[in-house]
Amino acid sequence: MLIFDQLKKDDPQLRALTALVLTGVIVLLSGLWYVQVVASKRFVQNQRAQAYRTVRIPAARGKIQDRNGQAMADNVPNYRVNLYLEELPKLFKDEWRRTKPVGPLKRDERVSLESMARFRVVSNLSSHLGRVLNLPIAVTPGDFVAHYSSQLALPMTLANQMNALQIARFQEQPTIPPGLDLDVQPMRFYLYGTTAAHLLGYLQRDNQSREGEEADYDFRLPDYRGKVGIEKAFDSTLRGKAGMKSVLVNNLGYRQAESTWVESEPGTNVVLTIDLRIQRAAERGLQAALNYTRGAVVVMDCQDGDVIALASSPAFDPNRFIPHISHAEWEALSDPKLRPQLNRSIQENYAPGSIFKIITAMACLESGLDPERILHNPGHIQIGRRVIKDTAPPGDYDFKRAFILSSNTYFITNGLNAGVDRILEICKSLHLGEKSGIPLPNQETSGILPRPGEKPISWHDGDTANLCIGQGFISVTPMQMAVMTAAIANGGKVLWPRLIDRLVPQDPLLSGRAWVYERARVRDQLNVSPRTLEIIRDAMRADVEEQGSGKAARIPGYTVCGKTGTAQVTDGTGRVVDHTTWFAAFAPYENPRYAVVVMVESGSSGGGTCAPIAKQVFQALRQRDLGVPTASTSGSPSNPPTPSEG
Amino acid sequence: MIGTIDQESRPRLDWPQLIALVLLLGIGAAFIHSATSSNEIFSTRPWFRQPFFWHLVYGGIGMIAGAAICWIDYRQLSRWAIVAYWGSILLLLGVFVVGKEVYGARRWIDFGPVQIQPSEFAKISFIFMLASYLSRPVEELRQPKVFWKAIGLMVLPFLLILKEPDLGSALLLLPVGLVMLWAAGTPPRWLIQMLGAGGTLIVLLLVDILFAPPQWQFKLEDYQRRRLLVYFGIDFAANAPAPERARLRREQRAHSYNVEQALISVGSGGWLGKGWNQGQQIALGYLPRAVAHNDFIFSVIAEEKGFMGSFIVISLYSVVLFTGIRTAAQARDRLGRLLAVGVVTLIFSQVFINIGMNIRLMPVTGVPLPLLSSGGSSVLCSLIAAGVLQNIHLYRRNY
Repeated sequence: MLIFDQLKKDDPQLRALTALVLTGVIVLLSGLWYVQVVASKRFVQNQRAQAYRTVRIPAARGKIQDRNGQAMADNVPNYRVNLYLEELPKLFKDEWRRTKPVGPLKRDERVSLESMARFRVVSNLSSHLGRVLNLPIAVTPGDFVAHYSSQLALPMTLANQMNALQIARFQEQPTIPPGLDLDVQPMRFYLYGTTAAHLLGYLQRDNQSREGEEADYDFRLPDYRGKVGIEKAFDSTLRGKAGMKSVLVNNLGYRQAESTWVESEPGTNVVLTIDLRIQRAAERGLQAALNYTRGAVVVMDCQDGDVIALASSPAFDPNRFIPHISHAEWEALSDPKLRPQLNRSIQENYAPGSIFKIITAMACLESGLDPERILHNPGHIQIGRRVIKDTAPPGDYDFKRAFILSSNTYFITNGLNAGVDRILEICKSLHLGEKSGIPLPNQETSGILPRPGEKPISWHDGDTANLCIGQGFISVTPMQMAVMTAAIANGGKVLWPRLIDRLVPQDPLLSGRAWVYERARVRDQLNVSPRTLEIIRDAMRADVEEQGSGKAARIPGYTVCGKTGTAQVTDGTGRVVDHTTWFAAFAPYENPRYAVVVMVESGSSGGGTCAPIAKQVFQALRQRDLGVPTASTSGSPSNPPTPSEG
Repeated sequence: MIGTIDQESRPRLDWPQLIALVLLLGIGAAFIHSATSSNEIFSTRPWFRQPFFWHLVYGGIGMIAGAAICWIDYRQLSRWAIVAYWGSILLLLGVFVVGKEVYGARRWIDFGPVQIQPSEFAKISFIFMLASYLSRPVEELRQPKVFWKAIGLMVLPFLLILKEPDLGSALLLLPVGLVMLWAAGTPPRWLIQMLGAGGTLIVLLLVDILFAPPQWQFKLEDYQRRRLLVYFGIDFAANAPAPERARLRREQRAHSYNVEQALISVGSGGWLGKGWNQGQQIALGYLPRAVAHNDFIFSVIAEEKGFMGSFIVISLYSVVLFTGIRTAAQARDRLGRLLAVGVVTLIFSQVFINIGMNIRLMPVTGVPLPLLSSGGSSVLCSLIAAGVLQNIHLYRRNY
């Protein structure tokens, strides 16, 4: 070997020394080989584990739009002032030097005093910010310590939801204090406040990873999960895919740099069949009807089943749930009488009252009732030992007169002739007692359809009499009544209501085409003759156009057809405690296009309370069809919130 | 042919060694820069006050000192060995009187603008002293009296440096002394007995320190004891009372921290490293900034230049060491041979201990890496030692 060759053969010590040095060099090199080449991966991972923190970045949530693309739920920029703690260690150190007591300190004392010094720095900065923004900003020692110890790598948000004035004030400071900076986060915003609140639903704070997603993060930025309504039903569509960024932290945990590892993918927009103008017209109509109206309006396209409005009153403002709802507000939303969270269009069972006479009429006509035949109404009808009063005046009634004056005697007499089975058959083909398939989770109720053959009900003629006038063992939802009205209007097609029009990717350049939901899905056919339907449509037209109970819905030049109803609400002992008033209508008569069902709890009467609401809705629908620009009537969206509560 | 003879007859420097030394010095400066660039204490200073620049300055001074040493034949120099030896003993004693205390140890003497570390100079003067003492005829070395005297020469500075305390520097004297004794021709039997006795003593000491109950333990500085426990992976909280345990565990983590971080630095370097000035361990402060540019400079190089960097550094040291051994072999007399052996052993021991510490082959001791670690005294002494090697090389023949 080269090294040994230079040594004399007879110099064992130097040869041994050479061997020793050579061995040492080889040991070092093989050690380094092992650490740097063989086991390198492990150390790279160790380094990554100690120096990187992963942060979950929620994706921008998809919009919820009305059928014309008008956003109902959108994301607005939330301007915040963040405090970047990694820029403060020098201030922390200075403050500590300035205030540390002389003399030796115990370790614990030192730690807590240093912590106090840091808090003073942050507290001074935040009160400075408060003066600049003219906004009280309170950082408690608890908040700060919690953030410092567990989220040091993330900035601390001091002010939230700043308005333009505050942003300007912040930006125009001669020198922006160290560590403070503006940042923008998307924030869910419901542009029309309470409009369609039950339908849209609301969000709840939930930072957890969703399925099919990275589960381990060191930190998570605030995220929300749909809790109710479309927000819940289409949560997985709307929320997109969360991204991941990594924050490089130093040995003290301060942020040094960050980079995005996985971009978040924005969620998909959900386009509803709702027309915002009609929705708002329906809600305005409801709200104007009574003080704190409890009621619902369903507007449905008779031909293709599109739900054009689905209103329920009273409503809540889903914006109040962001970032979280206050206890007092939650209490208000849980009022036992008003029940603002209840979606009255589908979520509650109501006795249909006289609008059920439409079904009774079909049964009677189908079993051979001659609409011209006269029946004398003495002002009441006796079934067994029970006397049922008729709200229609005594006199002679043919079908049309009985229908527009809503004669109980007429419909009970003829209904008993037709038989309960006939009536129930029609109910079944209308799928009463079944959900209408509106995709609002946990909201829809199926109503109740009596099953006379089955226990525990022992069925009597009295029960049939009750059924004929929409009382007793039957209850429905306004949505079901809209499906019924549409079936009458469109010639017997029982449609699936269609609430979702299409799903559209937020970024049009992104792959994935719009998904359009099938229109005009026929669920069933009303097995009644066209003549029967025509007779009923005529009668409904007369109810509004002639001196019927629904004349309050009359619109000159636009033929509205309807049926009023006032159902008695009884308590356990059978005493009448309240009324549910109804108006089920469609228009125009000549070429039916829209079915509108209005239901108001505690209304005075169907004709008095509900028909005027329907009239407003029809007027809005008519303007829509005429293409009248309705910016003024639909109202402009409210401004994004600027409460700035820190 | 005449030219060749002429060249042969003229004194010549050992160029490969000199080039290796200059390269090491340059690498040292480059990576000291890297290690201190994220340290606010240094990086805010003007460039001419930063450690990398001072490294080069000391390197220059060291070169001049080395050249100056080459001027005079080492045989004449060695006449002053006894003066140098006792002078450095005095300096070591002086440390206890006027020494500057840093982290609980007195290792430096402050001379106004410069601070010197007497233990560094003690190593050189010790090599000179022992070489000139052992360069007597081999027969004399067979006398126990001479042997014990030589051991005494070794133990005196050893104890003084140990007392500073600077265990690492003190321990360095032992391999240097023993190898010199052996190379001089001391009967190997005695050395083996010495080693056996010393080894047993060290093992007993370790067992005592690591496992004995506190009141029976040999009095060692607390940090030294902890370093040993960390090195041997022993939980120092194992038999502590419960409330103490958490605190001790925390302390242990803190103490094994340097080693762990050095290991992560070295390991994450991989084949080619992250690039000069790109080391994350330093930038993020995981590798403690106080030691990154001196005791742990190698892990900085290893992280930023990977295994290739480590290989180059070790190759350069190999050049220095093997040319040193060749110098020893070609030396004109026993004095030169012993001096060269001493210097080679000193440099080798430092390189092995320091790099071994970075990859956990060796416990953490404050032994600097010659020419790479920041620190004036160390650079100066390493270059003086190299100057001695060049001197022996230059005067290897009679002229």
